[in-house]
Amino acid sequence: MTLKIDRQAYYWPALFGFAILFFANFVANPIFVSHDNWRPVLLGAAPFIITTWAQTVPIMSGNGDLDLSVGPLAGLVNAIAAVTLPSLGLTDPFSMITIALGIGVASGLLNGFLVTIVRVQPIIATLGTFLTYQGLTLEVLPTAGGSAPPWMRVISGESFGVPGIVWVFVIIAVLWWLLGKTAYRRNLLAVGGDIRAAYTAGVNVTAVRIVAFVIAGVLASVTGLVFTATLGSADPTVGAPYILTSIAGVALGGVAFSGGRGGLLGAAAGGALLFLIENLFSLAQVSIYYIQIAYGSILLAALALNSITDRIRRRKAAAALV
Amino acid sequence: MSVAATNHLSAEATAPAPIASFRALRRNFGETIALADCSFAIEPGEIHALVGENGSGKSTLIKILSGILPQSGGELVWNGQVANFDNPRAAQKAGIATVFQETLVLDQLSVRDNVVLGLDHLFRRVLSNAEETRLVRQALDTIGMATLGTETPVAALSLAQRQGVTIARALLRPWRLLVLDESTSALDVDARDRLFEALRRFRAEGRSILFVSHRMDEILDIADRSTVLRSGRSVATLTRGQTSTETLLELMSTHEEAEAAEGAVAAKIRRAIGAPVFEAKRVAIRAESAAFDLTVRAGEIVGIAGLEGHGQVAFIEAIAGLRRPARGAVETERGAVTSFGNAARAGIAYLPRERKTEGIFAPLSVLDNLTIAALRRFSHFGLLAEARRRAEGARLIKQSHVVAPGLTAPVAALSGGNQQKVFLGRQLALRPRALVLNDPMRGVDLGAKQDIYKILEQFASDGGAVLLLSTELAELCLLCDRVAVFHNHALFAVIGRESLDAQALIAAMFGQAAAAGRQL
Repeated sequence: MTLKIDRQAYYWPALFGFAILFFANFVANPIFVSHDNWRPVLLGAAPFIITTWAQTVPIMSGNGDLDLSVGPLAGLVNAIAAVTLPSLGLTDPFSMITIALGIGVASGLLNGFLVTIVRVQPIIATLGTFLTYQGLTLEVLPTAGGSAPPWMRVISGESFGVPGIVWVFVIIAVLWWLLGKTAYRRNLLAVGGDIRAAYTAGVNVTAVRIVAFVIAGVLASVTGLVFTATLGSADPTVGAPYILTSIAGVALGGVAFSGGRGGLLGAAAGGALLFLIENLFSLAQVSIYYIQIAYGSILLAALALNSITDRIRRRKAAAALV
Repeated sequence: MSVAATNHLSAEATAPAPIASFRALRRNFGETIALADCSFAIEPGEIHALVGENGSGKSTLIKILSGILPQSGGELVWNGQVANFDNPRAAQKAGIATVFQETLVLDQLSVRDNVVLGLDHLFRRVLSNAEETRLVRQALDTIGMATLGTETPVAALSLAQRQGVTIARALLRPWRLLVLDESTSALDVDARDRLFEALRRFRAEGRSILFVSHRMDEILDIADRSTVLRSGRSVATLTRGQTSTETLLELMSTHEEAEAAEGAVAAKIRRAIGAPVFEAKRVAIRAESAAFDLTVRAGEIVGIAGLEGHGQVAFIEAIAGLRRPARGAVETERGAVTSFGNAARAGIAYLPRERKTEGIFAPLSVLDNLTIAALRRFSHFGLLAEARRRAEGARLIKQSHVVAPGLTAPVAALSGGNQQKVFLGRQLALRPRALVLNDPMRGVDLGAKQDIYKILEQFASDGGAVLLLSTELAELCLLCDRVAVFHNHALFAVIGRESLDAQALIAAMFGQAAAAGRQL
C-alpha cells in the first residue's frame, strides 16, 4: 500500500496530461509560474482539486456510488460560514471548522444511509440531496453577501512565503496517507473491486460505503470553507458547477468508475487539469460558454479513455489466465 | 448475531456434543423451496461430506451456515447454542470459515490483501504487514503454494492459484468448522493432495470439515461420514463403511439413469465419420510452445482434457474465434477463423463455461433464451415471425430435453441443469456444423448430464462435429471417439477409442508418454 514507482499505475496518464497543460499555461502566460501568481493559482485550483478528491472516494467504493451533492454542499457550507455562523456570533476557527465538518459528516451519513440502507440508486439519492442543499443555500442567502471572519486569511493569505491553501492540501494528503495505513483503504478497494468477494470475506461493506460518503461530505465542507476564505463572502451559485468538474476530474484522474482502482494523486491531477483548462480559456479570452463545451467533451473523452484502459487491463488479466 | 442459550439438559454426556447441527432447516425463495427439511450433525474432528445433485440444497445450506442467508424455518445449533448468523462476519467470528464455490478474489489487490481480507475491522488492522506475510505464506504452504508471491496482484494468477487464495483466506481465520463448497475443482492433483493431507491433520486436532464435492473419488477418499441431500431433504447420513459410489448415486438420484452415470459405459453407437469440419493447422497456443495439428470431422465427438492451465481452454477459445493462437490457423470450409463472428458464420457454435455470467439471460423467458442467437431466422424485414419462433422454441425444448413450465416462463425459474440445456438449445438453434463446448457438464445434476449426453450423441449422429472440453474424465471416456490431451500449452497425446480410459488420460495429462499410449 506504499507509494511505489509503478509504470502501470493508474495515475500516469493524468500526471502526463497535467504536465502538458501546465506547460501550455506557461507558454500562454509566462507569468503563470511566477512566485506572485502561486497563491491565486492555487486558490483557484483548490475547489477543483478538493471536490474531485471528495468525489473519488465514493466512486472508488464502486457499485455505482457517486456523490452529486459535493458541489452544492460546498456552496451550502460557504453560505452558512459567511452568513449564519457570524449572525450567531460563531466566528472563531474552532467553532467554524467543527460545525462545517459536522455538516459534512451529517451529509455523508445521510447520503450513505439513503444509498446503502434505503437502497436508493446513488445517482438519484445524491441528486435529491443536491437539490435540497441548493434550496437550503438560497434560503440562507438569496443573493451574494455575508463576510468571512479575519482568521480565514490563514487560508487565503500567505505565511512564511507559503500560500495558506498549501497547508489545506498537505493536511488532506497526510490524513489520506494515514488512512491508507489503516485497514480502510484495503476494505474500500475490496468493496469497489467486487462487493460479493468483500462481503463473503467478512468485510462490513455497508460501513465501508457509508464512510466513503462521509469522507466525500467532509471534503466538500472543506471546499466550502475554502470558498469562504477565497471570496471573503458567500455566493449561492458558487457550488453547483463543481458537480460536473468533480466527476470529470475523477475520470481524468484514472480512477475506475467501476470501483476498486484509484487514489488521491490521480484525482488531484485530474482536478488540476480542469482548472488549467479553464485558466487557459480565460487567458485566451474565450467565452465562458465554450468552457462548458470543453468540460463536457473532456468528460466524455476521459470516460472513453477510462473504459478503453479498463478493457486493456481486463484483456491482460484474461491472457494471464490461459 | 443473536445467540439464545438452549436448555442444555444433557445428563447423558457420553458422545461428544456436535459442533454444528441442523434441525429441520428450511429455506424457500418465494414459491421455490430450496431446502425443505435438513437435519444432521457435524461432530468435532470429522470430515463430513455433503453430497447431492445440483438444486438439492447444498449451496443454500452452506449459505445459511455462513451467514449469507437467513433460514425460513428450523434451527441451526452451533456449539450447543441456537444461532442465527446475520452476516458472514458473524459466522466467521463464531468459528466457521467457508470457501465458496466461486473463486471470489479481487484482481487489483495482492495475494496477501486477498488472503487477509475481512480479518480487519473497518479501520483497525489486526495484523502487521510482516505478520500478515508470514501467516499468508503458512496458509498457502498448506496447499503447496508457498512459492506464490504474497505481493503479486491476483490478476496475474491462474484459476487454480486463485482458488488457492480463497482456501488460504479461510484457513487463516481461527476456525472450528471449515466449509469447502466444491473448492477443489480447479486445483491440480498435487495441490488437492496437499490440501487433503492438511484436512486430515486438522481432523486430528479435533477440528471439523464440511466438504462438498461432485467427485466421488474425493468423497470416498476423505470423508468420515457423508450426508446425502435430495430435493432439499437430508435423506441419509452414511458412515465411511457404508459409503460407496453406488450407494451415494442411488441415494442422491431419483433418476433411473443414475447407474449409467459416471464410470458406467453406455452403449456406443457407431457413427459415420465424414469430411473435416474444422482443422487446427500448425497451431501454437503460446509463442514458445510446440505447434500441432488437430482435425475434427463430421460425426465425431472429440474430447479435450488437461490439467488446469495447460492451454486447453485457450485452444478451444481459438477454435471459437475468441482469441488468436500465437501461430498457426484454424481452417474451416468457409475460410480461416479469425473472429467470433466469422467462426459463427463458418458454423461453429461455442458454449462458454460460465452459464450465469456468459450464458443465460436470467430475466428473459425460456423462448427468448433459446432463440436469441438465431433471431435472423425468424425475421421478415426486421419484424419477428412470432408463430414460427414459438414453433422452433417448442421443437428446441424437445430436442434439448428441457423441463420447463412453459415457453414464457423466466429461465431463472428453471433448475441449473435445465438452464444449461436451454443454453445448449440456443446453440442448436443456430444449426451449427460444430459444437465447441467448454466444460458443459460442470456443476450440472446427473439427470441433466444424461440429457446433455443424449443431445451430443444425437448431434454427432446427425453429422455434426463436437469438441468437448471436460474436467470429468469418466464423461470423456463415455462420450468421445478420441480425446486430445493438453500438456504444457501444447497437444500432448490423442487417445483413441480403443485405449481410452481414465488412467490413460491421467497419464497423458501428467505428461507420461508411455503410459498414455501416446499417439499424435
